[in-house]
Amino acid sequence: MKFRTIAASLALVVAAGCAPAQSGSTGEGGDERTGTLRVWLFDEANRDPKEKVVDQAIAEFEAAHEGVTVDVQWIAVESRADKFAGAFNDPANAPDVAEFGNTDLAGYVEAGAFADLTGDVESWEHGADLLPDVLDTATVDGKVYGIPWFTGIRALYYRTDVFAELGLEPPATLAELAETARAVRQAKPDMYGISVGGKYVYAMLPFLWASGGELARPENGQWTSALTSPEAIRGVTAFADLISPGICPPEQCADFTGTQSVQAFAGGKAAMTIGGDFNRKAVEEGGLKGKYAVVPLPGTERGSIAPAFAGGNLLGVFGASERRGLGVEFAQLLASPKYQSEMYSAMGNLPTLASVQRELARNDPFLQPFVESMAAGTRFVPATPAWSQIDAQGVLPTAIQRIATGEARAREALADAERQMNEAFGG
Amino acid sequence: MTRRRSRLLAEIVTVLVAAAVAFPLYWMVLSALKPAGEIQSTDPRPWTWAPTLDSFERVLTVDGFARYFLNSVVVATAVVALSLLMSFLSAVALTRFRFRGRTVLLVMLLVAQMVPIEALTIPLFFLMRSVGDVVPAFGLNELGSLVLVHLAFSLPFAIWMLRGFVAAVPVELEEAARIDGASRLRFTWQILFPLVLPGLVATSVLAFIHAWNDFLFAKTFIISKTENQTLPQAILVFFKPEENDWGAIMASSTLMTVPVLVFFVLVQRRLVSGLAGAVKG
Amino acid sequence: MATRELTPAPARTAVPPARRTRRRGRDGRSAALYLAPAAVLLLGVLAYPIYQLVVISLYDYGQAEAAGNAPLVFLGLENYADLLRRTQFWVVLAKTLGFAAVCVVGSLAVGTALAVLASRVRAVPRMLLFLAALGAWATPAVAGSYVWLFLFDADFGLVNEVLAGLGFDGMAGHSWTFGTYSAFGLVAMEVIWCSFPFVMVTMYAGIKGIPDEVVEAASLDGASWPRIATAVILPMLRPLLLIATIQSIIWDFKVFTQIYVMTNGGGVAGRNLVLNVYAYQQAFAGQEYGQGAAIGVVMTLILLSVTALYVRSQRRSVELT
Repeated sequence: MKFRTIAASLALVVAAGCAPAQSGSTGEGGDERTGTLRVWLFDEANRDPKEKVVDQAIAEFEAAHEGVTVDVQWIAVESRADKFAGAFNDPANAPDVAEFGNTDLAGYVEAGAFADLTGDVESWEHGADLLPDVLDTATVDGKVYGIPWFTGIRALYYRTDVFAELGLEPPATLAELAETARAVRQAKPDMYGISVGGKYVYAMLPFLWASGGELARPENGQWTSALTSPEAIRGVTAFADLISPGICPPEQCADFTGTQSVQAFAGGKAAMTIGGDFNRKAVEEGGLKGKYAVVPLPGTERGSIAPAFAGGNLLGVFGASERRGLGVEFAQLLASPKYQSEMYSAMGNLPTLASVQRELARNDPFLQPFVESMAAGTRFVPATPAWSQIDAQGVLPTAIQRIATGEARAREALADAERQMNEAFGG
Repeated sequence: MTRRRSRLLAEIVTVLVAAAVAFPLYWMVLSALKPAGEIQSTDPRPWTWAPTLDSFERVLTVDGFARYFLNSVVVATAVVALSLLMSFLSAVALTRFRFRGRTVLLVMLLVAQMVPIEALTIPLFFLMRSVGDVVPAFGLNELGSLVLVHLAFSLPFAIWMLRGFVAAVPVELEEAARIDGASRLRFTWQILFPLVLPGLVATSVLAFIHAWNDFLFAKTFIISKTENQTLPQAILVFFKPEENDWGAIMASSTLMTVPVLVFFVLVQRRLVSGLAGAVKG
Repeated sequence: MATRELTPAPARTAVPPARRTRRRGRDGRSAALYLAPAAVLLLGVLAYPIYQLVVISLYDYGQAEAAGNAPLVFLGLENYADLLRRTQFWVVLAKTLGFAAVCVVGSLAVGTALAVLASRVRAVPRMLLFLAALGAWATPAVAGSYVWLFLFDADFGLVNEVLAGLGFDGMAGHSWTFGTYSAFGLVAMEVIWCSFPFVMVTMYAGIKGIPDEVVEAASLDGASWPRIATAVILPMLRPLLLIATIQSIIWDFKVFTQIYVMTNGGGVAGRNLVLNVYAYQQAFAGQEYGQGAAIGVVMTLILLSVTALYVRSQRRSVELT
């Protein structure tokens, strides 16, 4: 009897349920060598090229491992939080391998879901070739929880044809950037001077850092938000001011995400944007091939480069995976020199292996500004589990949007954001 | 103004309103059929001379589309069938039997509908995980978990609605049947059940919509087994407004809407007569 | 509470007094049998999770706690106190109440008016209206939201195009989802569009249920149509109107998908948040399940009191069956 069993099990649960449910500690996992390997990868603005490379890797992997099928599920970046939460709360039904952003690392490690890959990276033939800075973004308390797949560095894309026509030079400071953007829109009213958006936090961060501000400071092992420092206010305001009728009207831009900002540029609607190495394909397929160039995003002073955000995605293996060995091998295959180069040609992703990066930078001037930005020093979001929460709650986008729409003054909006950040840090 | 004149005026208004109400649906289907260039045109026209199935093709060629469609049908059908059975029995008990605590039960049914479903995903998630330990087919990652949850959410409203239908059947009929020697069980199934069938149909519509449209639970419960995804969840891949692929979005919307619409049109007559019957009683 | 009204009219279930006691006992047992399947399911899959929701709201319960990597900390009512201290909560609550009120009144007015209209026309126009309404009703919330969004799209939408064509030049490229009120208005229109059919069908059924003789008698007495509608038909429809209102309140207060999809998660700077989306953004996406549960409980309580107040205000005039 179906119902009797259910009723019995329910009675069991009710009897046990005076406190909220908790998962047991993460399962031990296993090392089966056959079956379905379930993989989560991020969906992209233009997924086809990524999918092709991944399919190629899958074919190679399946040919080398008899009785193994690889099942890829494409996860939307925006809704990743609930997806991963589900996997953490029910390890038995989690996938085996997942791609995730390095900003989420601390939170995911706290949830205890990902396997410690330190040994696997050390014994991997390309392990020593991984860029140390990049490997750092995959490390928590000395343990590596993911194989760095690619690095995301953002720089300033601009339209060479538009700049030539209007006799403009690429800006040398952030203040010049705003002036140049304003000049473009004045001359071409149906074009955004620069397409940036209220939800494009990674474009705002260089402004914050270049002005000498910081997101948060660690004090005695506890993070404290620093958003209301005069430097931070100046930096965020400089960015929010770009979302104004004279540059990028709030009616359109206030809600833009990074993808949308780049899309607007790729669609020919903007003279500049802040884009990553990984956006190259999207821009060129929009028909701008030969009409754009990239320079490092300038700092506040002439000749300086604004600190870039060291983004990047990792490939992790779930601790509860029944196919740990296969999972690690598949992650290593995707991160191997061959597929890193393939991903570079497909998407423009900046490789994480020193040898591959050197090789590519030599042959492809496109990479130059990104490598330069990286060399000038990169920064990172607070490495704490709370960051995932601050990110998911949209604390910074809300602040930027409130300033840009004039709903609140910068000090007020940032004070609210600071309070929310501290709440998250506090526990 | 004569009566006939005013009726004609009312009819014209009715047709105009009907057109306005149907317009978004027309626009949805039309946009799904427009070629790419026309959808992204800044000069949209309410017709097209070059209908194309391109947008549908993009959506329908999702790997495993047939599978997802089937999954959705299985879940929705199971929910409709089970909820009809359960809510019918409960409605009979709540209207025909006198017992203590009945009023309390009724109030509870109303209150149950007030809890925001979204807030319940977390407790339900853990519940389904425990259920899965006992009966794997109803655990997470399985369609059974979706059936259970949708059943639970459709039942309170279904019972609440059905009470009216059951109450509308005259008590004298039951007395007569009893005098003829029919048992209560026989009366319930052979006489009462056919009589409230229109009501059952009306109720089933809502259970069907509920189960068919869901993507919140499908997204939360079907964690990693792609083969158990349902249609809305699979189709939502195309809802990426930042890419402005309105053609694919409209085609997906059309595909999601059509089965419900067909179901509605099929039961349309009974829906109205069912509700009317409940009121007349 | 609505307890008294909920008892069905005595005439319907009348049982000869002499047999009442014995039947009650037997009825109790059969009732238990008939109710068992639904009761088991509802207790397990609805009542128990609701109980858990309340329990969770008393704990500091986040992702780490759920995954079993951190000890549970009992907070008592701290989650609630924290919520009530936030100014944003009150702002969102006020907006939710206003938005829901507009949607409820809108769907009731449109639904009832069209039901009256439908009862006065011949079969063909009526069928057209019903088909259109059923279509709107059948449209999944996600699909409906996107269609309306597309119609009102700044660049490719038909509405801006038509308005610009009519001479409102400023409307070309106008963003309907940017302003707080215009975004709420747009969502409210979509919500009314897909929720008035329930009201219309219910009310139409009610109108059809009114014996023709009553209306005829009134019109023979020389009453005008508006007078018949307000003095004769409306009072007879009251019980149904009550049900339709309660259901609308319950549905519209909890609107989630439309706001989430059409305002892209709550509008620019969260201006268009309603409670349900607020809970989702702040708590569930942020994995503060304890906080989210507290918002859920508060929402249920508010909904409960709004409904109770409404039912009480109608107490003397109708019996709920």
